[in-house]
Amino acid sequence: MDARVDRLALPVGVIATLATLLVVFYYPVGSVLVGAVRAGGQLSLVPLRAVLGDPFYADLFGFTAYQALLSTVASVLVGLPGAYLLARFEFPGRRFLRSVTILPFVLPSIMVAVGFLAMFGRTGLFNDLLAVVGLGPVELTFTLEIIVLAHAFYNAPLVTRLVTAAWESVDARRVETARTLGASPLVAFRDVVAPQLLPALLTAAVLTFLFTFMSFPIVLALGGLEFATVEVWLFARVRDLALTEAATLGAIETALSLGLIYVYLRFEAMQLRAGGGSRSIGREPLLAGWRSLLDPRRLALLCYGGVVLVLFVGPLASLVVESVTTPEGQFTTDYYAFLLAQQASAATGTVQPVPAITNSLLFAAGALVLALPMGVVVSVVAARETRGSRVAEALLTAPLAVSGIVLGLGMLRTLVFGTELFGHRLTVTGPVAIVAAHAVAGYPFVTRTVTPALRAIDDRLVDAARSLGASRTTALLDVELPLIAAALVAGAAFAVAISIGEFDTTVLLAEGVDSATMPVALERYTGNRSLGPNLGPATAMGTVLLAVTTVSFVVIDRVGGRWER
Amino acid sequence: MRRRSFLTRTGAGLAGLTALSGCTGDGGDGTESASTESATDTESVTDEGTTTGTVEELSGTLSVATYSSFVGEDTAGNWLKSEFESEHPDVTVEFETPENGLNRYIQRKSEGAPIDADLFVGLNTGELVRADEQLDETLFATASDRIEGADTVKPELQFDPDGRVVPYDTGYISLVYDEGEVDAPGTFDALLEPAYEDALIAQNAQQSDPGRAFLLWTIYNKDPDGYLDYWEGLVDNGVTILSDWEPAYNAYSDEEAPMVVSYSTDQVFYHGEGVDMSRHQIGFLNDQGYANPEGMAQFADSDDAELARAFASFALTAPAQREIATRNVQFPAVEGVDPGGDFGEYALEPPEPVTFTYDELSDNVSGWIDEWARQIASN
Repeated sequence: MDARVDRLALPVGVIATLATLLVVFYYPVGSVLVGAVRAGGQLSLVPLRAVLGDPFYADLFGFTAYQALLSTVASVLVGLPGAYLLARFEFPGRRFLRSVTILPFVLPSIMVAVGFLAMFGRTGLFNDLLAVVGLGPVELTFTLEIIVLAHAFYNAPLVTRLVTAAWESVDARRVETARTLGASPLVAFRDVVAPQLLPALLTAAVLTFLFTFMSFPIVLALGGLEFATVEVWLFARVRDLALTEAATLGAIETALSLGLIYVYLRFEAMQLRAGGGSRSIGREPLLAGWRSLLDPRRLALLCYGGVVLVLFVGPLASLVVESVTTPEGQFTTDYYAFLLAQQASAATGTVQPVPAITNSLLFAAGALVLALPMGVVVSVVAARETRGSRVAEALLTAPLAVSGIVLGLGMLRTLVFGTELFGHRLTVTGPVAIVAAHAVAGYPFVTRTVTPALRAIDDRLVDAARSLGASRTTALLDVELPLIAAALVAGAAFAVAISIGEFDTTVLLAEGVDSATMPVALERYTGNRSLGPNLGPATAMGTVLLAVTTVSFVVIDRVGGRWER
Repeated sequence: MRRRSFLTRTGAGLAGLTALSGCTGDGGDGTESASTESATDTESVTDEGTTTGTVEELSGTLSVATYSSFVGEDTAGNWLKSEFESEHPDVTVEFETPENGLNRYIQRKSEGAPIDADLFVGLNTGELVRADEQLDETLFATASDRIEGADTVKPELQFDPDGRVVPYDTGYISLVYDEGEVDAPGTFDALLEPAYEDALIAQNAQQSDPGRAFLLWTIYNKDPDGYLDYWEGLVDNGVTILSDWEPAYNAYSDEEAPMVVSYSTDQVFYHGEGVDMSRHQIGFLNDQGYANPEGMAQFADSDDAELARAFASFALTAPAQREIATRNVQFPAVEGVDPGGDFGEYALEPPEPVTFTYDELSDNVSGWIDEWARQIASN
């Protein structure tokens, strides 16, 4: 490869990434957060002092952290056994199950709320099931418990996915060596496997904490006002156009999140791992004759299967059932007929389902094409151990640390309203802006999965390639990328999922109904009263979303899987 | 320049249309009483005269900003658009439905960004107060004296002292309850009794129209000094406060609680065969209902103000008022209009409609809501 191209490739990649981030992230967010340190047009600590000195806000941050901690613990408890099952056992449907663990990620929270209320409500399926075994009823709706459960629904699959990937990359030979040297299976697990799972587990836990700390729609939909979090409050302040207070809350939230990310990144960088060219640990068959059912591990997994059925399959199945049930409980196909009618309608302002599906898929593909190189570039920067690289990495991971409401407000004021530049008002909206915004939301996931994998590559492999005459870029493409393929595929799945599920910025940047995506269509149908005020049409659209996403991810995993091994 | 009265209240054709969709189906005009289907119009304001066609030609594109459920298939918005366009063939009506509603335009104005909409449809008193508090310049033009028909709006619904906003419909906040589970509470004080423990679902006044109206209704009855104590009592008695009307009503439908804060037009949606009306009883408290009128106003920056006012006038004609009422399930704002049909039969009006005026809300409403929300969230 041309030496000049080689020298320029990384800097150009970094600059392109930074430019994209600047336009659709740093500038919009900065324009809002600056309000936290300004009063009357001057630098001032008044807004910060006002919030920090208010005991109400101290309580609010305290409660927000508390529910995030509970949610993180619940997500880890529910997610870990899933990773164990998927990484260590072979059974029919394992690959499919692994593919669909991404599904909760793409579901608009309004649908999760519908599913949860239908499943865990007073008259829901869960109470019906409890009644069969003579228990219950339990009152879960609008309690802290149901919020934590819904957070686990969203985030436990994250734990499962990240830990499964780490488990699959544990080198079987090292476990075998330990066993040959006399270690019991438990000791071998503790000394060889666990240290390699821990970083993935921590990544998942930190991400879960961040997400649930800034959780908003789920708390809003399942909680009621007594369970308001910082983000719910921030939303209310924005609605009331109390923007200084909103900016201050957002700035504090962002500072806390970035701090957590920084501490975590330092920890991650200290973890030394050798890897490269490993052979995965083999999987045991889950069922080997009925006798294997008496094995305590398998019994425990069976119980776990029950939990999964209730917590994951229950709400999703309830959602599908709701889409064919009238409020009176009769079977109906009206809601799907509604979707067809929307498709056929020429009325102005109508969001049609088919274009929404194609938009979703096109935007996701575009976001993927943009997010993968962005994520890899940031990972390459992060994997270099230079001074300040942790700080740089933390700042480049900032899209995970900034509240969606702050980002939305910033985008509205800078991109949608436009910015005066050389006497012209420039606006950045439409499909290209949507794709860029989705990529910015998705690339940190690529980075988070790729960085550890990149760090685990034995430097000597790259050095050997370089000394044999390969350019840096060639070494990256031919040596490193194949070694991190599994991590890339995992990151890609997240990037696509984030894009498909994204609602807030999409609806801001969409120009009219032509750029509507599936979640936007779904939201529009919730407000449609043509079949009376009920969520039927939205649940039908939710079911379509579920089906389209399932097919997409099975395809991604199959195609990616072929490339993986 | 002002072209005059193009809207000599158009036509017989329109009137026929209205009657059909008003479900009377007799081809006659809707009259004072929904049950008597008289073919002659007896009122003065609903002037389905014989004039057809336009007196003066209007042309251009009118951009109407509104909320998303006002437009789409079978909505009041789309009816207005198609009728207005067929009356004025050179006019195109477009809708803008930003996610954050009126805030979008308040923010545009305060940031100096251009506003390309001509007319806003669907704002209430509290929103107008917020717009005025946020902005130094006015967002809307004083146009009501130049909007034909604005003087026919019921005086008790007028909420803008500066004559910018013209109300076009109103809802009344009430309770909807399941008479199989609870009796009508009748008074605000009754809601604190053990009989209504865990029985009520309300909405967050920070972000929900009915939620805000219900809170204001309690302030109306318990005074600004006493409402927080009253709400303390409601919370102690297990009130659930959800984010908005939709989730609240769904929770009610799922039998999470036997009462919900909603609108007195509830039964218009739910009637007919197989519908259990016992779950759709309307409960007025202290014989009141809180009026939440919706208005329209022409943007001060509109470059086609005349068209905007023409559209606003059109929305105040009797046929349009009946269509808005039935399709938007709200009461007409114009005096003497009876939507007839199912609406006339099933929409209930409170014995005593109450509401706060613009001046009473001004300087107070955000403080009231903020203190209320802090108290609830601190629980």
